[in-house]
Amino acid sequence: MIEQLQALRTRALARLEALETSGDPGALEAWRVEFLGKKGELSSALRLMGSLSAEERPVVGQVVNEVREELESAFAQHKAQAEAQALRAREAGDAVDVTLPGRTPFLGAEHPLQKVIRRIEDIFLGLGFAIEEGPEVELDYYNFELMNFPKDHPARDMQDTFFVTEDLVLRTHTSPVQARTMEKMQPQVPVRIIAPGKTYRRDDDDATHSHAFAQVEGLVIDRGVRMSDLKGTLLTFARQLYGADQEVRLRPSFFPFTEPSAELDVRCIYCGGAGCATCKQTGWIEILGCGMVHPRVLELGGYDPHEVSGFAFGMGVERVAMLLYGVTDIRQFYLNDLRLLEQFSGLAH
Amino acid sequence: MDVKITWNWLADYVDLDGLTPQQVAMDLTHAGIPVEWMEPFAYPVERVVVGEVLSADPHPNANRLRVCRVTVGTEAPVTIVCGAANVAAGQRVPVALEGARLPDLTIGRSTLRGVESQGMICSAQELGLPVRSLAKEQTDGIFVLPGDAPLGLSIADYLGLGDMVMELELTPNRSDCLSLRGVAYEVGAIYGRTVRMPSADTGWVQPASGMARSDGNDAVAAKETAPGEPGEHGEHGEHDAGAGPASELPLTATVDTPLCPLYSVQAVTGVALGPAPIWMQMRLLAVGMRPISNLVDITNYVMLEWGQPLHAFDYDVIAHHHIVVRQAEVAEGLETLDGQVRQLSPSMIVIADPEKALGLGGVMGGRNSEVTHTTRSVVIESALFDPIVTRRTGKALQLRSEAGLRFEKGTDPDAVGPALARAVALIQLYAGGRVASPAVVKRPPLATTSDGALSGMSSAASATGSLDADLHQRPAVICLDAPRVSAFLGCDYAIDELVDVCRRLQFPVQREGQRLSVEIPARRPDITREEDMIEEFARLLSYDRIPATEMHGPLTPGRLTPEQALRRRLRTHLVSVGLTEVWTYSLVPGFVVTRTGLPADHALAQMGELQNPLSEDRRFLRSSMLFALLDVAQYNSHRRIRDIRVFEIGTVFSPRALPMTEQPTERQVLALFLAGQAMAESPHGKPRALDFFDAKGIVEHLLALLGLRARAVFLPADEPYLHAGQSARILIDGREVGVVGQLRQSVAREYGIGAGFYAELCLASLAASAEVGLTVAELPKFPGVARDLAFVAPRSLAAADLVANVRAAGGTELQAVTIFDVYTGDHVGSDAKSLALRLTFQAQDRTLTDDEVSDYVNRILASAARLGAAIRH
Repeated sequence: MIEQLQALRTRALARLEALETSGDPGALEAWRVEFLGKKGELSSALRLMGSLSAEERPVVGQVVNEVREELESAFAQHKAQAEAQALRAREAGDAVDVTLPGRTPFLGAEHPLQKVIRRIEDIFLGLGFAIEEGPEVELDYYNFELMNFPKDHPARDMQDTFFVTEDLVLRTHTSPVQARTMEKMQPQVPVRIIAPGKTYRRDDDDATHSHAFAQVEGLVIDRGVRMSDLKGTLLTFARQLYGADQEVRLRPSFFPFTEPSAELDVRCIYCGGAGCATCKQTGWIEILGCGMVHPRVLELGGYDPHEVSGFAFGMGVERVAMLLYGVTDIRQFYLNDLRLLEQFSGLAH
Repeated sequence: MDVKITWNWLADYVDLDGLTPQQVAMDLTHAGIPVEWMEPFAYPVERVVVGEVLSADPHPNANRLRVCRVTVGTEAPVTIVCGAANVAAGQRVPVALEGARLPDLTIGRSTLRGVESQGMICSAQELGLPVRSLAKEQTDGIFVLPGDAPLGLSIADYLGLGDMVMELELTPNRSDCLSLRGVAYEVGAIYGRTVRMPSADTGWVQPASGMARSDGNDAVAAKETAPGEPGEHGEHGEHDAGAGPASELPLTATVDTPLCPLYSVQAVTGVALGPAPIWMQMRLLAVGMRPISNLVDITNYVMLEWGQPLHAFDYDVIAHHHIVVRQAEVAEGLETLDGQVRQLSPSMIVIADPEKALGLGGVMGGRNSEVTHTTRSVVIESALFDPIVTRRTGKALQLRSEAGLRFEKGTDPDAVGPALARAVALIQLYAGGRVASPAVVKRPPLATTSDGALSGMSSAASATGSLDADLHQRPAVICLDAPRVSAFLGCDYAIDELVDVCRRLQFPVQREGQRLSVEIPARRPDITREEDMIEEFARLLSYDRIPATEMHGPLTPGRLTPEQALRRRLRTHLVSVGLTEVWTYSLVPGFVVTRTGLPADHALAQMGELQNPLSEDRRFLRSSMLFALLDVAQYNSHRRIRDIRVFEIGTVFSPRALPMTEQPTERQVLALFLAGQAMAESPHGKPRALDFFDAKGIVEHLLALLGLRARAVFLPADEPYLHAGQSARILIDGREVGVVGQLRQSVAREYGIGAGFYAELCLASLAASAEVGLTVAELPKFPGVARDLAFVAPRSLAAADLVANVRAAGGTELQAVTIFDVYTGDHVGSDAKSLALRLTFQAQDRTLTDDEVSDYVNRILASAARLGAAIRH
């Protein structure tokens, strides 16, 4: 009896195996009926159980159950396979050309100047600076007087000015935000701010000049601020913006509101310092003006230069953007040609 | 502020041995005096030498040519065929010998109409000189040299053609370097070398380096007759001519204005106007000045040398030989040297005699006292003039001059005397004059104000030069503690290093322990405070010494204000939904008002105006972003870009009154403009043209982002630039925050664009309204019931009004009302529309029964009927 059951199992599995390649669902069902159906071979075998002795019955019963489970499991597996195959075949009929473009929503672009401002802001936010803003139509008092440009001072010639009235100008730099911040904060320290914004000078527009341009100003006031802190802070900034291997150098310069004053150079980002046309073979390019806050500016801002010191810096956003993105004509930024702007698509770069 | 110098000229005052122009240029730049560029004065010609024309005979075969025999001092004379009309026997001329290299050609042996020419006599042009700066007689034909030019000498050496010219780009505080003397001190400070300025003691003749001269003997003669330097001002008294030994000509002066704190003149007689020595002309040419005559060139030369402008008058036109320095009278006129008659004002300084004005102090001389060929005696003036007044006078009369440039930056009181002495000495050397009076030195009467202070020049005059301080409180002494210098710069310096910097600067210094007292000479008016001196230390010990350190002190959080954060979110959002950010100018032309159809009394037509715009296109402060975005649309649509989806967050200006007298209100607004298709083009379906609801949808989406959508109400707008039927005002809690709509066709046509949609939102209003807190509503426990109702309503009924009506009537269980279909057309009649609403009812505590919901619906239908809306069958 047991031998018969074992033979049945072997035969059934062999038949199932043979079905495999045919892929005919009817054949699979016929197999089930033949072996597992009510009138199938296994049921017939079960019916013979009655003729067995009480001792044999449980032993054979166990074998019958084993064989049934094995055949049912094999059947389920084969059925699932067959169904999956059928589904796949149907899907093949519905295939699309996946290389066709999708229905993409429009994607806009951030303006390169805003992108640069955001990058600069993010660096200084990370260094604990707050962002301050001020009006574009500014009082002479904040734009010049408090920044140590007295009336009729030749240094005012550095910044050809648009006047609204005798006392009202389009700000020539973001520095008046320094004055406004000091007015608001004094005598508290530390002051750590940057101030991005639009500025204006009465220059004819050409490839390197614009009557309207953007600056980011920075101001730090605290007890014991040193010129070396200025260098260290701007080195950190330069490395985040232009790469971790950047170097900076300071060159003496002049601004009425800082003393000592300096220009900050970084290693030329094009040639890495070897010398090229962009850096005029010097290996360095100027990126911003900076210096220690002039004691007169501290005094005018309500701080005692014997108690506190500070540093300030200001950079042209267009210049940074021109260097970062290889733009050679500043007017490209204000043309708003979508073919250019769309190159800044999305939020990368 | 640019100034040119030459290497050889600089070498007259400071020892440059062992240095190269390249090295000095680099070190000057690194010390804060940037050398913008450097190039040789002219092409260094080879095998061109001084020759003498022995004879110039007519060419046998050509009318216009001459056959010259020319000697260059050695060997046999050469034959040169010359076409210049001005060639003549006896002239010394530049001779290009066979094999000579000129800027544009190389000279070989040639035959001209049958006569062999063994070289060329050169013109100024052929030598590569800047001919536009030379007098006509020097550029017509060959360049005739002075009769004492040494035969056979290389022209490159004789004219200093290889001298290196450097252009310095000075910062406004370094006007001291508008002179060779200033640059020499700077170079001296960098290398620790002493500066030697020419004086009676050192001898007046300077150009020792490189340039050939033949006036060695004159130097001795000059030394004998050199005038004494005018008295050191300050504690010294004043002088009038007549007291000294050399008082051949009487000369007196008075100063009646505090605007001229120091005035000195000296007379020289027996002068003969002629060309300046060739080396002086070449130096002037090299730094971009036009040689004119010996007297003018000498005053210019000394100005460039000392930074002290000088002026020469004709002595004989000065009535009573008395000069009066005063302020101009009302409506006084003067014909200036340039031939223009100027109307003067009392704020200007006039140099006059008792009868008439002779010149404008510090700005320009008068025609009536100009030095001419008939001038026998001259008066040389060296003075200090108020920088601000000089600057204003120059601006008012639109006169820009090298002298004015220097006066307005502030000149060195210590240079007034030496420069006068120098000029007088050079006039004796090169214009044949002899000293006819001692130096007359005058200053204004000392007027004292109530507080005892000197009422000198305008107080702001001290801005650049601190002239008051220089004149009355000199020498300025700055005291510093060496440890403070190190602490301030964050770099350790030994006190000996600091002392050494002072020595190199030639600033007298005293040391007491760690304390330094530094005396600042008047030539460096930029140094007035401790920090100025710290900068000198830092830059001369190199900024590279300063390390990079980290800030210390308390931590501060980097933070954005709510409005800054809002702007960032909006930018990111709008870019993500397909809008491209633009950046436009805030200055707009006046015609944008009419171009966008704004009536003159419209709020947006009230724009603030600049006093000094660069052009009409940039005259007004924009009142709206509309103008800029329309320009962007126009620009791009002209370039056949169809899908224009742009936005900008920028400032608009609303004047409080016109004309503006105070700061306008500045508002940050978000503006967007859309034109083209609603979706990007794809192969999967036909794109649809944008309409009003695309624009409104972007605005609603953005309001939803900020949690404001439910509080926003859109009402029909009436803006002159928008479609009357397709534009809306946007209100939040009843307050207007912006506008959205289709551009009026007439405006779109004006800008050459098709259908366009514009929206503008005030960011401050959005920020003020933006939702801050949020408490989560409990999730429903019982299922909701949805009912769809299709209403037929009068066409004029606003959907929002029907929804509001339905909501009010629906009771607390009405959770949501959405409009899912709108239909106008034949099926509902021309003055009606169909609006299909989906209502969702839901109770917190039970499952609603059908009967309950039907009751609500009946109440809603009754209420809607009052608006003329009935259920559609």
